[in-house]
Amino acid sequence: MLTMLQTLPNAASQAIAAAAAAQSGATAPSARTFWMPPGASTIAPGVDLTLEVINWICYFFFAIIVALMVYFVAKYRHRRGERFRTEFPHHNTPLEIGWSVLPTLIVIGIFVVGFRSYLDIYTAPKNAFDIKVTAQKWGWTFQYPNGAQSDDLYVPAGKPVRLVLRSSDVLHSLYIPDFRVKRDVVPGRYSYMWFQCDHPTGLPAAEVRDPNAKTVAGPLDASQRHALFCTEYCGTGHSKMNRYVYVLDETTFGEWMTKQAQWIDEIPEEELYFKAGPKLFQRCVQCHSLDGVNGIGPSWKGIVERVKGYPMVGEGKKYATYQDYIRTSILAPGDYVVPPYANAMPTFKGQLNDKAIDALIGYMEHLDDFDPKTGKYLKAPAAK
Amino acid sequence: MTQIAHDHKAPAHGHDHGHSHAHGSHGHDAHGHHDPNLAHHFDSLAQQFDSAKLGIWLFLATEVLFFGGLFVAYAILRMRFPEVFSYASHYLDTIMGGINTCVLIISSLTMALAVRYAQTDNRKGLITCLVLTFLGAVGFLVIKYFEYSHKFHDNLVWGPKFYVPPHSAEGDLEAAVLKTAPAAPGTAITVENPAPWQVPDLAKKPAVDASAVKAASQGPSGVARANGTPAPAPAAEPAPDAKDQAHPGTHLEDASMPPNTHLFFAIYYAMTGLHGIHVVAGMGILAWLTWRAVRGDFSSKNFTAVDTGGLYWHIVDLIWIFLFPLFYLIH
Amino acid sequence: MTTIPLPTSGPVRDTLEARPDSDNYLTHTRGVLSWVFTLDHKRIGVMYMWAVLASFLLGGIFALLLRTELLTPGPTITDDANVYNKWFTLHGAIMVFLVIIPSIPAALGNVILPIMLGAKDVAFPKLNLFSFYLWMSGAVLCVLSLAMGGFDTGWTFYTPYSTTTDTGGVIPVLTAVFLLGFSSIFTGLNFVVTVHKLRPPGMTWFRMPLFLWALYATAIIQVLATPVLGITLLLLIVERTINIGIFNPSMGGDPVLYQHFFWFYSHPAVYIMILPAMGIISEIIAINSHRSIFGYRFIAFSSIAIAMFSFIVWGHHMFTSGQSALMNTLFSAISFSVAIPSAVKVFNWVATLYKGSVSLTTPMWYALAFIFLFTIGGLTGLHLATLSTDVHLHDTYFVVAHFHYVMMGSALIAMIGGLHHWWPKMFGRMYHEKLGTVACWIIFIGFNVTFFTQFMLGSQGMPRRYYDYQPEFQVYHVISTIGSYIMAFGFTLTAVSLFGSLFGGPKAPANPWGGRSLEWQCASPPPFDNFAKTPRAGDCYDFSAVHWDEKTGGYWVDESADAAKDGSHA
Repeated sequence: MLTMLQTLPNAASQAIAAAAAAQSGATAPSARTFWMPPGASTIAPGVDLTLEVINWICYFFFAIIVALMVYFVAKYRHRRGERFRTEFPHHNTPLEIGWSVLPTLIVIGIFVVGFRSYLDIYTAPKNAFDIKVTAQKWGWTFQYPNGAQSDDLYVPAGKPVRLVLRSSDVLHSLYIPDFRVKRDVVPGRYSYMWFQCDHPTGLPAAEVRDPNAKTVAGPLDASQRHALFCTEYCGTGHSKMNRYVYVLDETTFGEWMTKQAQWIDEIPEEELYFKAGPKLFQRCVQCHSLDGVNGIGPSWKGIVERVKGYPMVGEGKKYATYQDYIRTSILAPGDYVVPPYANAMPTFKGQLNDKAIDALIGYMEHLDDFDPKTGKYLKAPAAK
Repeated sequence: MTQIAHDHKAPAHGHDHGHSHAHGSHGHDAHGHHDPNLAHHFDSLAQQFDSAKLGIWLFLATEVLFFGGLFVAYAILRMRFPEVFSYASHYLDTIMGGINTCVLIISSLTMALAVRYAQTDNRKGLITCLVLTFLGAVGFLVIKYFEYSHKFHDNLVWGPKFYVPPHSAEGDLEAAVLKTAPAAPGTAITVENPAPWQVPDLAKKPAVDASAVKAASQGPSGVARANGTPAPAPAAEPAPDAKDQAHPGTHLEDASMPPNTHLFFAIYYAMTGLHGIHVVAGMGILAWLTWRAVRGDFSSKNFTAVDTGGLYWHIVDLIWIFLFPLFYLIH
Repeated sequence: MTTIPLPTSGPVRDTLEARPDSDNYLTHTRGVLSWVFTLDHKRIGVMYMWAVLASFLLGGIFALLLRTELLTPGPTITDDANVYNKWFTLHGAIMVFLVIIPSIPAALGNVILPIMLGAKDVAFPKLNLFSFYLWMSGAVLCVLSLAMGGFDTGWTFYTPYSTTTDTGGVIPVLTAVFLLGFSSIFTGLNFVVTVHKLRPPGMTWFRMPLFLWALYATAIIQVLATPVLGITLLLLIVERTINIGIFNPSMGGDPVLYQHFFWFYSHPAVYIMILPAMGIISEIIAINSHRSIFGYRFIAFSSIAIAMFSFIVWGHHMFTSGQSALMNTLFSAISFSVAIPSAVKVFNWVATLYKGSVSLTTPMWYALAFIFLFTIGGLTGLHLATLSTDVHLHDTYFVVAHFHYVMMGSALIAMIGGLHHWWPKMFGRMYHEKLGTVACWIIFIGFNVTFFTQFMLGSQGMPRRYYDYQPEFQVYHVISTIGSYIMAFGFTLTAVSLFGSLFGGPKAPANPWGGRSLEWQCASPPPFDNFAKTPRAGDCYDFSAVHWDEKTGGYWVDESADAAKDGSHA
């Protein structure tokens, strides 16, 4: 925090410099200041400048008001027994007009500055790269034009990116502080937001999320990734919907997108359950556990045997095999909900293809091979 | 109570009451005692009366804003789903609504007469008119009862129950199995299982994907139906004889019914229901006023309660006068 | 200064002491039933006061719980995020609906307004008692909802979460808030009629004390805005129980429609909270500076202007919800216009200190704290009214800090200052002055430590309503929590100072501060019917007629000087 305090005098000049740089077309992330996190998008300098303008106006008026207040109290202090003053002004028209008109002009100025930077936030450029975002309780899924899907947001550097937001259930809100963008995700309609980041972070070093962790992942390093939060209260897991944003240069991004789209296709059938299973399970972990403890949804421990025993599962019945039931549970969860659970599971249709479902079914079948606390594959060859 | 001498404040009459000032401007009668109708914290009957009037007008303002929220909801729904409103309003019986309007207007007249009779010391007239007004309210509610019961019988109700066919064989809505009727908006999944009918409640069972959800809130191009055919555009104007009867047959069989028609009935019941609750409250007030009138409480010196009660009744009438055209007359 | 002794007989004496010392509104009738069925506005106000303070304690406990949980990321005192979510929801709902909205109008206003008007009671005393019982039933139902499963929707009850969450306390609390809303409406209705019709001879509109202007403007908002909350809550209850679908997208409804309905009331509601507070500050500053308030007419008009403007800015709570850019622009521009009258009021108060004779009593310390904290709260409103910065700051801790500065640092501080200011009048006892001042400072310091850090938390990107958070935010949270403990200590001291005075504190004179408005011209505590002789209303900010009497240890007002100056009357 001390470093933040040291950066205070630099904030204004930095913001102005960044804004000037933005004018000329080049952008660079600004360092963290006393008030603001690093600014990594093209509109961040404008927003930060607006904030600085407002801040300095506020400091000025606050200082004057408090200083005058303290001064008057000290100077005109009355003690018991003293004479009361009787000569004082009741009103002063020029002064009153002045202190009404001047703040009015100032707030008009603030409004204009804010409005102009707002227009930049609101209007997406025409050639933006679209990424579809699905928000649900309690996670995000990002889908790319080539069919790739990801739990974290990977974006190309140097290009405007437009997020097409939709919610499967309740209100959420997508917030990326470093980019200064935020938009509510409303069920029943599409919302849009855009940003452009010119500074690549590169790919993540390693898997950063521990599915069973009691707390969110470790401290942020903005040079490596940016935080993405849900910022509209949505229930139990509202504070656990954090994801990361990785900005990749054009080539890396293209490679990543291709690999991501194919990642599950390239895995041989027999390796699906341990190569794809744990990764896909990330999306299930909010409600399902592996260790027998039931949560919002039943634990997967022993699930295959349980499902085999359901009355409507079996030859000639509604679900011919247990795989049918599991598959339907993923795609149309409300079809048959086992009491005492509520019909609370969102559908994953469109997010999990057949191979992914096969991977998950395989995962459930081979649960004994995985650590019930961390979901890690116990039979993996020792890491080098 | 001790006498308190003070300056006689001139009564602050902001407007002419249109009647003789039969009440004195002082609270004291010839013997200097307080008029029993004058509350201790008022200086004069005039001040007390004016305060009561201002109070009731403020209360009416709150009622206007209370209903105003629903009027805004009506306007928004109508703006978003004009086809729903033009379709579903045919299910409302204009004759019955018209009779109700007349009943309420006449009851407002009798109420105004009651106030007049109170002001002119006509106790018999006052009681008669109060009773007539009360009967008007009863009549209104009886007609409303018939309207509502017809609709409930046909499942022309709010929410998901709208999509359950009336006259179902089992008589048990929960056990109904829908094979040919359209699925409720928001789901494209065929429901064909013995499980109870699941309400497509959003958080519990979100749409398959957002576009299906969005489609549910769109117009007639709407949502896929269980039998696979998309909903056709509604007919320009349905045949009058088919639609204006009290029993138009099950609405679910009408291929021209736009999706989200349940919203019309939701707002219809919300507004007329809330209005009906106010009519019942009005009946309570009228009964109380009648009882007091029989007791002889009211006179040309003291008719405040009748006047303020009358104003309340007028606003109940006024709200209906807005509701009637909005639901029954506009197509 | 020479003390001019209180006349031993004549109209002033008659006004003050026409009854034996022991007979006042507290002692005039005895027994629980005499309080349960009282129609005396003072008793009703006192009952409200105790109930509101008890609610403040309850809401404060939830605040301390959630702040303690936030000491560390991840679980601290509870393993379950749902429990934390209920804590912040309850803290918000209790504080907004049970404490801040009713506190000044219902508790202080009920006691003081009629007396300030020289009247015997409000226009509709039975309605007043009914309002109180509506409030009590709302409060009881709210507490019951805790037992029925609680609720975790946030005090804003946004759909579709509030219509689909399965916590059992949602419908009870919605009903409770509905009842509380009607309590507020009827109190407002009562006050409007009282101010219009029960003013004494000599008190024209522009001779009214500013506290009455403030209460009047508040009452207008209460009457016009609260019904919309009522219908919104009804729609929510109906949506939740019978699923009409108006806020449910899969049934053609619109979740954002709920937000419009909700904020149409809730924005004017925040002015219900702040306007009476500003009225109290006007009174305290004028009296403790022993001079007329600077710019009286402006302050009076600005109260009405703020009340009117408050109805057309609700959309600034929804800038990121998907409103069109046009609507956002309009709401932003109009929101700035509301800021100006408030700012000018602050200038007026500071100008009132100029060439005054400033006594630093405990109420005055609270008023000065108010100016400091309200300035910060109001100025940070600029950040939120500005479109581009609001995109970054919306739904973060910056908003939390902003509204705590204005709701707690301003409205609540003013309420406590007003409590100290009128405590001698209401109970006839002087609280412990030094302890009161020390407590005020501790609250002030604790408040700033708690909430100033939250501005930084928010602008650095920490979202609201988070049980768990990124570790780099922890430093701010720890500081903030320590501040909350300091504040809790300060409030405890305040309670000791005030409540302790009831057990043998020194007796208070009728006019301990040198006020000129009518409530200082009846005994402390007032007689059951307020005045033995209805006083004449003079210029309540002309302190030249206020004299100190050493014997009683208080001031007295020489109205005869005023009558001589003021040729005509009424």
